[in-house]
Amino acid sequence: MRWATKLRLRLRSLLQGDRVEAELDEELRFHLDRLTEEHVAAGLAPADARRAALREMGGLDQRKEECRDARGLALVDELRQDVRYALRGLRKSPGFTTVAILSLALGVGANTTIFTFVNAVLLRPLPYPGSDRLVILRERPPGAEGTVSVHPLNFLEWRARARSFEALALVQTPPLNVTGANGAEQIARVQTTAELFRVFGVGPARGRVFTPEEAQPGNHDVVILGHGFWQRWFGGDPAVVGRRLAVPEGSLTIIGVAPPGLRIGLMEADAYTPLPIDPAKPDSIGSRSFQCYGRLKPRVSVDAARAEMAVVASALARQYPMDEGYGVFVSGLHEYLVREGRPALRLLMAVVATVLVIACVNVAGLLMARGIRRRGELAVRASLGASRGRLVRQLIIESLVLSSLGGAAGLVLAYGGMLALVTLTAGALTVGSIEPIRLESTCLVFTLLVSTMTALVFGLLPAWQASRVEPQMALREGTRGGTADRRQHRMRSVLVVTEVAMAVVLLVGAGLLLRTFSRLVRVDLGFQQAGTITMGLFLGRRPPEARVALVDQILERVEAVPGVKAASTIQFLPLSGMSCGTGFWLEGQARGDASHALPTECSLVSRGYFAAMDVPILEGRPFDGRDRMGGPRVVIVNRSFARRYFPGGRVLGRRIIVVWSDEARAEIVGVVGDVRHNGLTSEPVPTVFLLHAQTPGYITTLVVRTAGDASAQAAAVRRAIHDVDPSQAVSAAKTMEQYVGDLLVRPRMYAALVAFFAVFAVILAAIGIYGLIAYVVTQRTHEIGIRLALGASRGDVFRAAFGPGARLTFLGLVLGIGAAWGLRGLVSTFLFGVTPGDPVSYVVAAAVFAVVAIAVAAIPAHRASRVEPTAALRYE
Amino acid sequence: MSKPTDLVQGTLDLLILRVIALEPMHGWAIAQRIRHVSNDELRVGQGSLYPALHKLEQQGWIEAEWAASENNRRAKYYTLTRAGRKALESETAQWERLAAAISLVVRRA
Repeated sequence: MRWATKLRLRLRSLLQGDRVEAELDEELRFHLDRLTEEHVAAGLAPADARRAALREMGGLDQRKEECRDARGLALVDELRQDVRYALRGLRKSPGFTTVAILSLALGVGANTTIFTFVNAVLLRPLPYPGSDRLVILRERPPGAEGTVSVHPLNFLEWRARARSFEALALVQTPPLNVTGANGAEQIARVQTTAELFRVFGVGPARGRVFTPEEAQPGNHDVVILGHGFWQRWFGGDPAVVGRRLAVPEGSLTIIGVAPPGLRIGLMEADAYTPLPIDPAKPDSIGSRSFQCYGRLKPRVSVDAARAEMAVVASALARQYPMDEGYGVFVSGLHEYLVREGRPALRLLMAVVATVLVIACVNVAGLLMARGIRRRGELAVRASLGASRGRLVRQLIIESLVLSSLGGAAGLVLAYGGMLALVTLTAGALTVGSIEPIRLESTCLVFTLLVSTMTALVFGLLPAWQASRVEPQMALREGTRGGTADRRQHRMRSVLVVTEVAMAVVLLVGAGLLLRTFSRLVRVDLGFQQAGTITMGLFLGRRPPEARVALVDQILERVEAVPGVKAASTIQFLPLSGMSCGTGFWLEGQARGDASHALPTECSLVSRGYFAAMDVPILEGRPFDGRDRMGGPRVVIVNRSFARRYFPGGRVLGRRIIVVWSDEARAEIVGVVGDVRHNGLTSEPVPTVFLLHAQTPGYITTLVVRTAGDASAQAAAVRRAIHDVDPSQAVSAAKTMEQYVGDLLVRPRMYAALVAFFAVFAVILAAIGIYGLIAYVVTQRTHEIGIRLALGASRGDVFRAAFGPGARLTFLGLVLGIGAAWGLRGLVSTFLFGVTPGDPVSYVVAAAVFAVVAIAVAAIPAHRASRVEPTAALRYE
Repeated sequence: MSKPTDLVQGTLDLLILRVIALEPMHGWAIAQRIRHVSNDELRVGQGSLYPALHKLEQQGWIEAEWAASENNRRAKYYTLTRAGRKALESETAQWERLAAAISLVVRRA
């Protein structure tokens, strides 16, 4: 017979036990009746016939039992018995059970919690068809770490030359100002070439996508709405295609609606508009400031695409001076999006796995002690004929019952932990994740696997130990542990040393991360974050003069708001994650010679910026009202710039030509202090400040320094802007303190989580030490009594009980410190301002643990020294 | 009454398979048939019949179905499966070899 049928029958016997039983009953009853009839036919009275039949059958229940055996139910019944027995045993020692289940629940819960994040962020693929073929392309500048955005010229060349891709799309994300019944609003917009939807493998939910013509230069007043924005702004109107979306300059025709859940990179756009590239002059729309997404052809690997792009890049580098030294960076999109979340999640996974191992070791220790106490019971069972296999099986089943209970409780904890982490970490753990964090079936399977594995890890050793009983020996020794306990004791000592060492490793890690966090909080950013409020302004399609005038008027109005001390603008705020790289020539160098352009960051600001951000002017002057569009070009550089390019020399009055913005000669009129523009841990880089009033941009951010509470001024500042232009859209206000706070979320979370788990590990290890010493003291009460009676001092007894605990702790500490030192490379990427070998962290971790361990070991040792000799000698 | 242990190990299985190879039968009828055909020599006790039936069912050699019996009561009828038919053939062949061997020994030794 096919195994499937067999399986079905077995399952039927197992799962539909009641029905099978009923049928068996009916079948045997039928037989009994026929037998009775036969006897009646032979002349017996009905009652006698029945009795005779029953006698012949030899008892219905016995027959049923035999049939059940034939069905192979015996094993299942035995298992059920073992489980029942295990549960009864656990109920009888509530202290042990509580500690064991709690340890396991916390271990499993922590692992499941972190796994839900790992699953959602790292394991689940992007929700697009063939998402493994989605890639992101960026440029790799010469002589620098990292990557930069893509130049439109290079995009055109890539699209023309590369054969690896089914489609390539170029994208930029300037905001879009829209006007509706509730006034103006700045929405998230993706400006894109026509292929974007093909790259992501999705079609529009309604209407159509852009045509190739709409990617050509020209005035294409068309828009595709984001799904969410369509719901919000148009109430999900099914006939929205063909309607118009009002913008300050007029209106755009709605040609389609994007599918729900589409995210370009991480951005869920409210609107999509065409990005026309003029093949004759691609840099008219900008330079290296675009994102490029691609879809690989089937069966083309990322590596193959990377190799092809390396060839393309070297050809381009020969052809265009601006590409000299540049390479192309190609990465799977999912991998790229989660690149920052991955190391953190790996670290946390390692931490919680350690906690789980400690929990297992702890429970194993407890089980061993329990095994010794139950030696008598096991010996009796062995002498009554239970095989060793049967005993081991029963002990393993006990472990499985424990781990299942722990796992179930852990699942509850994990659910709470996940919700808490999602709220507390404000997305810091889900970097790059597109889908929400859920406790889904994969996670449940994970929990089940982990719980079962833990049962084997912590249960096998004690079960094996306990089952090695020699019945006569164990029965003779009775309950008082004798010499046979030595091996057990040594094993438990090893377990305690192991968990101490692991707890110390976590403590050291927590110490390093906490010290990193405290360093980060004290980082000098180069500006004063307190009292500064910011909001985004997108100036839109206005002529340059109008953009200058608008900003001037807005700044005047905002500065007049009571409580405002200074107001200015900057294109990309420090810490906002955006920067603008460019190059410059010193006056006298040959212009246009790209190989001689010196790299520098560039910031586009308005007058008063340094006052608004409280950046010190080190030399010269800030920008002021003299610096106008028609007047002499002026720039200000930061200290890093001055030091690097004019070391020891005169800076003020020197003339440079900045590549960006029509490349006019400009005079350096000031030197300002360095700002950590790209983050708390990034070193300041040479930066040149250009003036919005001379080279106006489109995207800008208002920076307002206020006296007192910055966020309270937001509404007044917004009103002032709308006094100037009611249709000017403004993004939500954010204080500089929030920007800094956002950057601290992750380091704070790492430190807090690792510290939390380390504390937990210490508690578990402390329980382990306590349990071991308390056990030994209890076992030796008799011996202690004798010693005291023979004249030992209470101090001697205390030392004798305390000594082993102290020795184990010391050994664990040494091993733990050594292991932490060996593993220090694992955390180095998360550290700032401390070295992975930071002695303070190691010393403090060791000290903290030593104090805890001494306190914990002293309790049972003290109890031992308080033993009354008379009572102890009676104790048996 | 002949006890199951009196039968050569595995012989009861062979008898059951052989008997229900003719037509589907319930337990009672199987016992009766074995008794009649063997001229009352072989009496199968319930203690061995039903466990054997259930074991054969688990092995997949026979399958059971509930149907009305000759006196209009519900009874569990057993039928040979394809695997059972094959098993019957091989068991029969084996039995014949064994029986021949035994009678050889009994007669000549």
